[in-house]
Amino acid sequence: MMRRGWAAALVVGVLVVMAAGWLLHQERRAPRPETGDAFSVTGVLSGEEEARGYARVTGPEPLEFPRDHGPHPGYRHEWWYVTGNLTGPDDRHFGYQITFFRFNVDPAAPERESVLATNQVWMAHLAVTDGDGGTFHHAERLSRGAAGLAGARAEPFRVWLDDWTLEADRDDRYMPLRLRAGHDRFSLDLVLDAVKPPVLQGDRGYSRKGSDPGNASRYFSFTRLSTEGVLRLDGMDMEVQGSSWMDREWGTSTLEEGQTGWDWFSIQLDDDRDIMFYHLRREDGTVDPRSKGVLVEADGASRLLSLDDVEIESTRYWDSPLGDVSYPVAWRMRLPAEGLELELSARVDDQELRTGFRYWEGAIRVRGTADGGPVEGVGYAELTGY
Amino acid sequence: MLWRASLRYLRHHPWQLGLALLGVALGVAVVVAVDLANQSAGRAFELSSEALTGRATHQVLGGPAGVPVNWYVSLRREHGIRQAAPVVEGYGELSREPGRVVRLLGIDVFAEQPLRASLGGLVGLEDLGAFLSRADRVVLLATDLQRLGVEPGDSIGLELQGRSRQLVVHGALEPARQTDARGLADVLVMDISAAQELLGREGQLDRIDLVLDDSAAVARVRELLPPGAQLVEAESRNAALREMTRAFQLNLTAFSLLALVVGGFLIYNTMTFSVVQRRPLLGMLRAVGVSRRELFSLVLGEAVVLGLAGTLAGLLLGYALAHVLLELVTRTINDLYFVLSVRELHLAPASVLQGVLLGLGMTILAALSPAREATAVPPRAALSRARLESTVRRRLPGLVLAGTLLAAVAGLLLTAGRGLAPAFAGMFLMIIAWALFVPWLMQLAMRLLAPVLGAVAGMPGRMAARGVEAGLSRTSVAAAALMVAVSAVIGVGVMVDSFRYTFSVWLDSTLRADVYVSVPGEAPLAPGQVEALRNAPEVVGSSTARYVRVVANGDRSRLRVFDLPAELEEGFSFKEGNPETAWRQFRLGEAVLVTEPYAWHRELAVDDRLTLATATGEQRVRVAGIIHDYSTSEGAVVMHRNLYQRWWDDPDVDSVALYFTADTDIEEAGNRLRAATGSDPPLQFRSNRELRRLSLDIFDQTFTITQVLRLLAVVVAVVGVLSALLALTLERSREYAVLRATGMTPGQLWLLVSTQNALVGLVAGLLAIPLGLVMATVLTLVINQRSFGWTMQVLVEPGILLQAVGLSLLAAVLAGLYPSWRMAATPPALALREDTG
Repeated sequence: MMRRGWAAALVVGVLVVMAAGWLLHQERRAPRPETGDAFSVTGVLSGEEEARGYARVTGPEPLEFPRDHGPHPGYRHEWWYVTGNLTGPDDRHFGYQITFFRFNVDPAAPERESVLATNQVWMAHLAVTDGDGGTFHHAERLSRGAAGLAGARAEPFRVWLDDWTLEADRDDRYMPLRLRAGHDRFSLDLVLDAVKPPVLQGDRGYSRKGSDPGNASRYFSFTRLSTEGVLRLDGMDMEVQGSSWMDREWGTSTLEEGQTGWDWFSIQLDDDRDIMFYHLRREDGTVDPRSKGVLVEADGASRLLSLDDVEIESTRYWDSPLGDVSYPVAWRMRLPAEGLELELSARVDDQELRTGFRYWEGAIRVRGTADGGPVEGVGYAELTGY
Repeated sequence: MLWRASLRYLRHHPWQLGLALLGVALGVAVVVAVDLANQSAGRAFELSSEALTGRATHQVLGGPAGVPVNWYVSLRREHGIRQAAPVVEGYGELSREPGRVVRLLGIDVFAEQPLRASLGGLVGLEDLGAFLSRADRVVLLATDLQRLGVEPGDSIGLELQGRSRQLVVHGALEPARQTDARGLADVLVMDISAAQELLGREGQLDRIDLVLDDSAAVARVRELLPPGAQLVEAESRNAALREMTRAFQLNLTAFSLLALVVGGFLIYNTMTFSVVQRRPLLGMLRAVGVSRRELFSLVLGEAVVLGLAGTLAGLLLGYALAHVLLELVTRTINDLYFVLSVRELHLAPASVLQGVLLGLGMTILAALSPAREATAVPPRAALSRARLESTVRRRLPGLVLAGTLLAAVAGLLLTAGRGLAPAFAGMFLMIIAWALFVPWLMQLAMRLLAPVLGAVAGMPGRMAARGVEAGLSRTSVAAAALMVAVSAVIGVGVMVDSFRYTFSVWLDSTLRADVYVSVPGEAPLAPGQVEALRNAPEVVGSSTARYVRVVANGDRSRLRVFDLPAELEEGFSFKEGNPETAWRQFRLGEAVLVTEPYAWHRELAVDDRLTLATATGEQRVRVAGIIHDYSTSEGAVVMHRNLYQRWWDDPDVDSVALYFTADTDIEEAGNRLRAATGSDPPLQFRSNRELRRLSLDIFDQTFTITQVLRLLAVVVAVVGVLSALLALTLERSREYAVLRATGMTPGQLWLLVSTQNALVGLVAGLLAIPLGLVMATVLTLVINQRSFGWTMQVLVEPGILLQAVGLSLLAAVLAGLYPSWRMAATPPALALREDTG
């Protein structure tokens, strides 16, 4: 019987060795991220450290419409930036943002035959803030600006990426605008109409950001757009109305060395005044003297606000769940010359867009006094470079 | 103690042991090697299709004109379908690695994220702008770059459609997933616009990969499909591709099993011999109280050890052999089916396990009968071999009966149904059945030969024949092993000859034009070039061809479009259908023809209808005839240009066949036309002779692997015969010693032994002929037909039969040289003594 045991042991041994071999041969299936790096705005532009080859904004130039509603592909970047505060059923507050970014990624791109060939890359961000529910939803899309996948045109006006569109509601005029965009759990279908004419920012639309006159952008805004339509969230359609703000800006270089980012505010007060103001932050913690803004009266008249006209003080901070960034989410803003003392606070603390290009863009509540009497308002804040 | 006895016996018979080991090792090696090669090719296919398909559930495949870019744009823009990625693909060769095909994959990095995350990750590529906007940027796996010795920023040459292109390596792809890291080997990733321009397909896409979550989404896309396009499940498309190679790989596996069967005969032979030799010892063991069961396990245990050792050696040998076979398998798949890059041998545990089980199983199976025999030894009795021989002779009628039954079953399996597996099973049964006839036929042959040999060579001649018969238990196994191997040599040889003959006859009748003009690497000629060629003064006749893929009866099918003058129609031969009416309807665009494999795979007959998805909507058309065609086992639909034009409105031409005036110098005319047509795109001119040679070269290349396996079967057989005859001669030492003692000279004895061996070889060779022919017929008419769908004429070259018999004789004589020399050289007294010990 010993012999049989020996043979059996031999067979078993061989099987064990083979099984072990098999197990060792199995690929280790440790969970690993599937993707490489995310798309980064700086990455897409990194080929050209300098602005050579791009068109530059170097001084005031008359804007021309409808041409300038359309794209300016020779400049490095451009955006159509819409934010708004809406009220739904039961006075429920919502904020929303849709931005179409255009980038020229290769100013020296050769002429090509393929309709898909392009040096234009588009990125769009869509976000909805449920102010009462305390939630924030956002999505990012990327596309090449070719063959009609994404792009913009002046007349009839339209800017789009896939099926996200902002376009003239009627072929023969720019306003009102129709905005349609959605992603998974939320979507917007809004009509926006200008209550006030566009405001040229900076010096007749020339918004200088640095010491070099070319470190500037062309910049104009619709500071108050009446807004109504349908907002859909988690399968529920809600009639909404409110007011929106649209910035149009294009240029080739914005920040220069020493500047790290900006805090930007848009405010619509219930006395029909609108305020835009931004701080360009510097590495040393100071605010760049070129920071500025605008105040628009109820009748549409506007005046420039310089750094000295506006005091802004952060009163509360919030830490990003990713743990590496702390954003201010409440501010005290004073415009002594206008008799305004305002308290700004985020509707929801977490309105950070954690996309390839990370920033905080969120709806804010405005309360305070105007010449001693109470005033309220809505607004948006944008915090970059944190 | 029993094991020590075993060991001692085996040590004293190293030749015996070595040859048996070699037999098992070779058998296992061939099986394992073929399986490893098959598995590696399969694994490479899986990896690459997994990496290239990604998470796609469906694909939209275009007709001849591809999928329009606009349709894709509207899918995203108007219908909000975002999990969609466009693809443009082509094949070329890197200048650094000529002869190795690489895939050019054009993608839109922004669309890849939901489908192929590893490619979607390219949005983070450094200087993405240039990758998008320049027409020459390419990204490869970091490992590929390393192998090629290039770095980002370097340029690499790509041979594509007859042109050399310089591309700039833009970056290295380093996917996080193992699957992608291996499946994307030999893939050149480009921006889709650059790929379009390189391949000359601006404005069109080859396909769109989609992730469709539910049946509603599928239905929606299906509704939107542009005319001529098809929505397929990604899985089923891959499966269909895989299926194409299945028949080929199954054939290889069957051939490899043949080697193992021959190996099995060896084990049987060795074990039986060892039992017979140790009869006195076994009897003694029984007398001292060892039970039958213990003896049974002793012999079986020996076989297991032998089988294990042989199998292990076979695994190592098979692993080495697999490298050679993999190269051949890959080349064949690339030649016949689709582009597949196989860089590594995948050591599939299942293949190894299968090799071990087959090796051990075969050993145990072969040793069962000898082991039983060992237990039959009564205590103390040193039984003579004679008893065994008489047992064998008693069993002869039973063997013949079993053989007859098996042959009947085999016949049934071979004639019924369409399946390939039953056909192979039938073939193996046929072989075994014939092997069962061998002892009886041997006996018959020897009885017939004895008087003849006696008349020719006198007493020694008669003795030789009688000797073979007397050792039937041994000689018949040797003969059967040799016979199976030789019949495989005949069968495979005749099959390849038949195939090649049929193929070349078909080539001759098909390739009638003087010169064929096309763009290398599948691209259409420029319209001006076609005009210039057809209107050249020396051209008296011409035809054009267009090769595309369209949807027929829901399947993607090859469509060949011919613009054929009536007098060239005779080049086609019909398998079914009336050529006259078929051609008339073909010309009028009322019907199409299909090739034989196409009809076989899709079970089509003349008068059946095909539903084609055309650019003008669905069209139904009658099949007017089935024609012989050996260019693709996938099969094709053949259509007249006019009808194609009407349904697809596609003017492109892929190939032009030119007929020159009688006095034209073909080479000169070619040069003239080459100059006249320019190089946009560059054209290749091939004479019919050149094309014929190229086709036959590919054919021969394809069958290299078959020839290699055939050769291996021969090697196994020779080893088998060597071991069988060695056993036989050694066993008869005493008998021969008596002959020597009674005055036979060493030379005479040598002659006697050699004659005996030659007789075995001759009979095996002769017996192999009928089996070989049956095998050839089965391989040609059943296996090949069921595998690939084409029928062939069986062509038997007498040379091959002579060769086979010669081989058999030679193997037997060679195998007998050493034993007979040893016998002749041993002093009789020593031999006599040895035998009793």
